[in-house]
Amino acid sequence: MLDLLFFIEVLVGGLLAGIMYSLVALGFVLIYKASGVFNFAQGAMVFFAVLSFVGFMELGLPFWAALPVTVGLMVLVGMATERFVLRPLVNQNENTLLMATIGLAFVIEGTAQAAWGVEVRRLDLGVRDEPIGWLMDEVGILISQLDIAAGVVAGIMVAALALLFSRTKVGRGLRAVADDHAAALSIGIPLKHIWMLVWATAGIVALVAGMLWGARSGVQFALIGVALKALPVLIIGGFTSVPGVIVAGLIVGAIEKTTEVYIGPYFGGGIEGWSPYMLAVLFLMYRAEGLFGEKIIRRV
Amino acid sequence: MIAPVQTPRRAFAIGAPILQLDSISLRFGGVQALTNVSFNVLEHEVRAIIGPNGAGKSSMLNVINGVYVPQEGAISFGGEQLKGMTPTRAAHLGIARTFQNIALFRGMSVLDNIMAGRTLRSRASFLEVALQLPRARREETENREAAEEIIEFLEIEHIRKTPVARLPYGLQKRVELGRALAAEPKVLLLDEPMAGMNIEEKQDMCRFILDVNDHYGTTVVLIEHDMGVVMDLSDRVVVLDYGKKIGDGTPDEVRSNQRVIDAYLGVAH
Amino acid sequence: MACDTVDTFPQLLLRHAKERGGRPAIREKRRGIWHTLTWRDLADEAEALACALSARGVQRGARVAVLGDNRPRLYTAICAAHWLGAIVVPLYQDAAAAELTLPLQSAEVTHVFAENQEQVDKLLEILPLCPSVRCIVYDKDRGMRHYQQPQLVSYAAFLAQGHALKGSRSDVLRAEAGRAAGQDAAFLFFTSGTTGEAKGVVATHAALIDRARVAAEIDGLTDVDVTIAYLPPGWIGQNVCGYVQPMVVGHCVCCPESSETLIADMREIGPTCFLATPRVLEALLTQVSMRLDDAGDFNRALYRRSIAVAQRVGARILARGAVSMLDRLAYLAYDLLIYGPLRDVLGLSKVRVAYAAGDALAPDLLMFFRSLGINLKQLYGSTETGFFVAMPRDGRVKPDTVGQAAEGVELKFTAEREILVRSPGLFAAYHRDAERTAEAKSADGWFNTGDIGYVDEDGHLRIVDRAVHVGALSDGTPYAPKVLENKLKFVPYIKEAVAFGHGRDMVCMLIDIDAAAVSRWADKRGITYTGHADLASRDEVYELIAGCIATVNRELALDPVLARCQLRRFSILHKELSADDGLLTRTGKLRRGAIAERYGELVDAMYAGHSDSAGVDGSPRRKIRDAQTVAPAGSRRAA
Repeated sequence: MLDLLFFIEVLVGGLLAGIMYSLVALGFVLIYKASGVFNFAQGAMVFFAVLSFVGFMELGLPFWAALPVTVGLMVLVGMATERFVLRPLVNQNENTLLMATIGLAFVIEGTAQAAWGVEVRRLDLGVRDEPIGWLMDEVGILISQLDIAAGVVAGIMVAALALLFSRTKVGRGLRAVADDHAAALSIGIPLKHIWMLVWATAGIVALVAGMLWGARSGVQFALIGVALKALPVLIIGGFTSVPGVIVAGLIVGAIEKTTEVYIGPYFGGGIEGWSPYMLAVLFLMYRAEGLFGEKIIRRV
Repeated sequence: MIAPVQTPRRAFAIGAPILQLDSISLRFGGVQALTNVSFNVLEHEVRAIIGPNGAGKSSMLNVINGVYVPQEGAISFGGEQLKGMTPTRAAHLGIARTFQNIALFRGMSVLDNIMAGRTLRSRASFLEVALQLPRARREETENREAAEEIIEFLEIEHIRKTPVARLPYGLQKRVELGRALAAEPKVLLLDEPMAGMNIEEKQDMCRFILDVNDHYGTTVVLIEHDMGVVMDLSDRVVVLDYGKKIGDGTPDEVRSNQRVIDAYLGVAH
Repeated sequence: MACDTVDTFPQLLLRHAKERGGRPAIREKRRGIWHTLTWRDLADEAEALACALSARGVQRGARVAVLGDNRPRLYTAICAAHWLGAIVVPLYQDAAAAELTLPLQSAEVTHVFAENQEQVDKLLEILPLCPSVRCIVYDKDRGMRHYQQPQLVSYAAFLAQGHALKGSRSDVLRAEAGRAAGQDAAFLFFTSGTTGEAKGVVATHAALIDRARVAAEIDGLTDVDVTIAYLPPGWIGQNVCGYVQPMVVGHCVCCPESSETLIADMREIGPTCFLATPRVLEALLTQVSMRLDDAGDFNRALYRRSIAVAQRVGARILARGAVSMLDRLAYLAYDLLIYGPLRDVLGLSKVRVAYAAGDALAPDLLMFFRSLGINLKQLYGSTETGFFVAMPRDGRVKPDTVGQAAEGVELKFTAEREILVRSPGLFAAYHRDAERTAEAKSADGWFNTGDIGYVDEDGHLRIVDRAVHVGALSDGTPYAPKVLENKLKFVPYIKEAVAFGHGRDMVCMLIDIDAAAVSRWADKRGITYTGHADLASRDEVYELIAGCIATVNRELALDPVLARCQLRRFSILHKELSADDGLLTRTGKLRRGAIAERYGELVDAMYAGHSDSAGVDGSPRRKIRDAQTVAPAGSRRAA
């Protein structure tokens, strides 16, 4: 009985972390789908977003004012990226674009640190990183309030984006652009708007992800590493699939925590860091298109 | 080969020129793709552009559609002189097109492809859509109805939810036509709509093109390789050879034009 | 219900409009959405149409034809014509123009309801030959804009005209509906007939209504049942299922969006009562097999095990027979995992009762569906007998019989075992053919069905075959082609099989492969081909079919009589048998005479022992192969 409860505790903790991975990965998927670019700067954007948010608060803005200001800033950053980095490079090959986003990552990181400084800051969202009282008393499971809150926020965000992109005209436009530029232009889909939209959305996603992670582990340069966690999620879920990364995020979160607790001791612990990558490698070997990614079918 | 079409009377009488191309010349580097080509397209007619491979047919279509900008010449649409045509501009003017090598949104369903074709028919902004405000929802319903009408028109009800990548070639062509129609275009540009089809699929496509022209009054400009198809389908034909116009007129006139016979009809293909 | 005296369609319609006016009568999927016509709507529309029809000169006894697919407007047109006491002539929508000439001429049809431009074009083509046709009402106006013929009017305009007239004519019309009598002719069906010549069969209101009531009672149909209309409206079966039965019971009939969307639409609407022809059921089975071919090994193994259990106990469970607890549990588990989802995929998950009619269904096929928990029954009847002669009762279904005679039916057999039927559902006469009527129907009301059969020990009727097809091999072995063909048609790769053997020394077969199933099979094996004809002549395909035939032969060898009817030689046809070539009837039955004539040379070559035959009209040579046969069980023991 106790074992089972403990397992549930570990699993829930993993799933909650997982949904946050999904959120970060979603930022990648949006941009990859719309413009075929693996946005190396996504991690930097996460860092930049939350650092700016904390920075605005330090300047004396209250929480509810700092949030829209930062959202506005991220939209501007997203749009500027589209306008000044990607648009001039339109029709270049993928490698060029990738290199551009790597460069962009350094610029954003540098700007962030130049503007707001390098010291680690604390972000208080008003939710404590403590177990929920009644759950601990009644059931005997330790689950952090912050984890639950973060999971819920990330879940809502992910669900809203998934609906937006699967059910509405905006989503259709995005998928259309991803599938075929020339055709999208011929039916009047405004390519530039879609790109801007996507970059702005990716900026907002970065902010939310940054806030959630920042509240947990402090606002610091290491947040950039969060983006690395998104990599196995992307590989497992498929680079182009919104539902794929949601499921993959949950899987990665669950695997990471459960393997750490149950298998970790045999390896002397610390396998949390690499177990998702192992899974990703397995996927690359046996199902390279990911869970729901597009299979590359060629009809004769 | 294709059954003759009995049209006792047209529902939409052929009208004034809707599209006018004057002395179009297009070069790619040193290659002369089009040289001094002029012709017009009348409202509600079916106009074909034919010619042997490499005659510049597709280039011509791409000029109309704004994909290529000709070095010389002028295009006017609905009597208005156009400068700097782009694909987006063409779409806004009511020029829709299909592509020679099907350019559908392969990951999306047939319905979504056709709905995407309605892009220019909706006004709701991103914010309205994101928040699902009334206008966005109303437009979505209207677009769905319009898309369903096209689905019925093209008889593709059975594949409405199927991702297009899974469809056979002939049906993909039909879906592409549907997507172009969804914009309710004034002029429809069809780039080899029947290429690679079997005889039955060709007949179906012919019927749909004529029905579109008849039912919606859409002006059709099409490029086609298959002479039989062109002669049965079109009201007037332009013949290109090596980027130059060598014939223009009704199918019968073109058929009896000696230059055309030499350049095209006489050559087995 | 049994003592119900209302025996005309207009009176039934008015009653439903009054008693269940708000309940759905007809549903139609159009542009992706289901639209409902309630009984009140239906009666209103029929009344308006009747007004318009009467204004255009339709009177009691006039003939009104309907030509098109199953659309609500086809049924409202039938309602309206019946309202005025006119006789409805349902035509096959896929018939060529020339085939329509005979019914239109011989019935002297004056008004036709046509679905669309395609049907109108056919009518206009033969209009000079059918001077009686005065008015063509077309439903879909696509492409009709520039038609100028004075006979043409759109359904919408026609209906509007009717609504405008309705106010002034309402009383007249109500009176007209009341004047109908059960003995009036309601339908004039032209049966395509497997022997070629089409006959007009006159069916009265009372006869059809009586039979439908009996059938409804046997299977407990009520007004919450739902059925789907998708079979050819020219066939009596579709009219019974889509018009007569709903009129009697008051249930709803649904029209799918198109024939291609049928299964998807069925999944949405969930019909509870389903009529199918053997051809449809064969196609469903082929679909299941093809899906299975695509499934993984695990799923395939699971499916095989589940089907084994189903075949062992499924039918008994359906018949509420004795089954061990363990089997019952296994069946339940597989029902959750396999049968249930399978029924759902076929759109049959809500079906309470399904009928196979129109032709003999292979017992294996019947049992396949029954073992999945689908209550499929083989009906026996024909156009002349008002459709229902015999039907199996729940709990007492035997796969190789057509069940017991329905209430009111008397059966009698001639010395040659031909079935004679006397029933309240019998047809009135062949249209304007007293001679043929007298030939088929005796003065005291016995109808010669032309089928050979007998009643077994449980009182179930067993049909052997059409009398004209039953024969003997040259050594005297009795031979009935249908049994052999049905065994082969159970194989998913085989769409049609035509057996030859009467008066010959062995049985040979022409095989028509199922293009979809075989091409998938070929794709999987990397066999390349350019088209149907090429595929049908591949050696690999011949081997595949030979294997299937060998399996069937092994089965036949177990039966002492059939063992000698094993298939010796076969050839695969290059072209599908089709109704357009006159080789099948419009309901998909073989026209043996026409087939034997068309492929005479090939058949002769088979019997002459050649290994191929020159094709007709320059088509490639057709191969002929021997099939592996098995010594009969008895002689094997002797050897």
